Amino acid sequence: MIESGMEPAPPDWPRAGDEIRAQSFGPFAREALARYAAVSGDDNPLHLDPNAARAAGLAGPPVHGMLMFSCFEPLIMQWRPDLFIARLSGKFLRPVLAGEGIRVSGRVMRRRDVPRPELTLRLIARAQNNDLAILGEATVLYKISGPLS
Amino acid sequence: MNALHDQAQSREGMAPEPSADAPVRLPPIRVRTGAGEVARFLRETGGVRNDGLVPLTFPIRWLTLPAIRGLVLQLIGGDGFLPVHEAQSFAYERELRVEADYVLAVEVRRTAKPPRLTLKMSVSTGQGEICAQLETVLRIVPLNLEPAS
Repeated sequence: MIESGMEPAPPDWPRAGDEIRAQSFGPFAREALARYAAVSGDDNPLHLDPNAARAAGLAGPPVHGMLMFSCFEPLIMQWRPDLFIARLSGKFLRPVLAGEGIRVSGRVMRRRDVPRPELTLRLIARAQNNDLAILGEATVLYKISGPLS
Repeated sequence: MNALHDQAQSREGMAPEPSADAPVRLPPIRVRTGAGEVARFLRETGGVRNDGLVPLTFPIRWLTLPAIRGLVLQLIGGDGFLPVHEAQSFAYERELRVEADYVLAVEVRRTAKPPRLTLKMSVSTGQGEICAQLETVLRIVPLNLEPAS
């Protein structure tokens, strides 16, 4: 469970404006979309069938939004493994088509030190053509003493 | 909702009218975070966890359980429509563990103009402690059912 005791922020606790180093994910080939459909259960034909994608007005099958959204967690945890992601949200703004990759990045928008070190992060996933694919936000807490459970 | 009626409407390119905006709640659903499922999900989403905890977005797969999927498909209104993921949020009180049992509480609400489904799901322990809450917003997109050229 989330602990609520007073705990000082570590000396290297990020500040507002700090950047999370961008990472690339993908490219997401159609085979990768099929595998994600299998592990997530999301077999919406929009992502798997070019005809369904065309019928929805797209040039080809789009990458599952949640496959791209899932990239935010490794981005954050590779940046700082001492975090608990309490909230993660996002809006899917532009489709990214199969065969393309994304570039995911973040920035610290707000830092709070009490009652517990907390950061608000702005997260962005961009398509290869730099279109904004997902605009996200996370609230992360300093993980005080090992796994929170 | 009358699926046949809605499918007939979809052939005419019209979105089915929602019967009501009241949420539909499902009976509690029991799930387990099987190690194999978690490992496969992690592999396809670029995850880096090896700490016995479940990836943050893993619960999204539970939205495709038959009871939830059936309700979503019913509320979407037939073959002439596809759900398009518009927004997603996760709020965690505690991380989910691998090889643990949880209970889902799910409600789905359909709204009009534009037609959307909003799914809210909470994940609790068997003792009733809430671990996580998800909100999924799906836009309902009518398909152009003309044969592809």
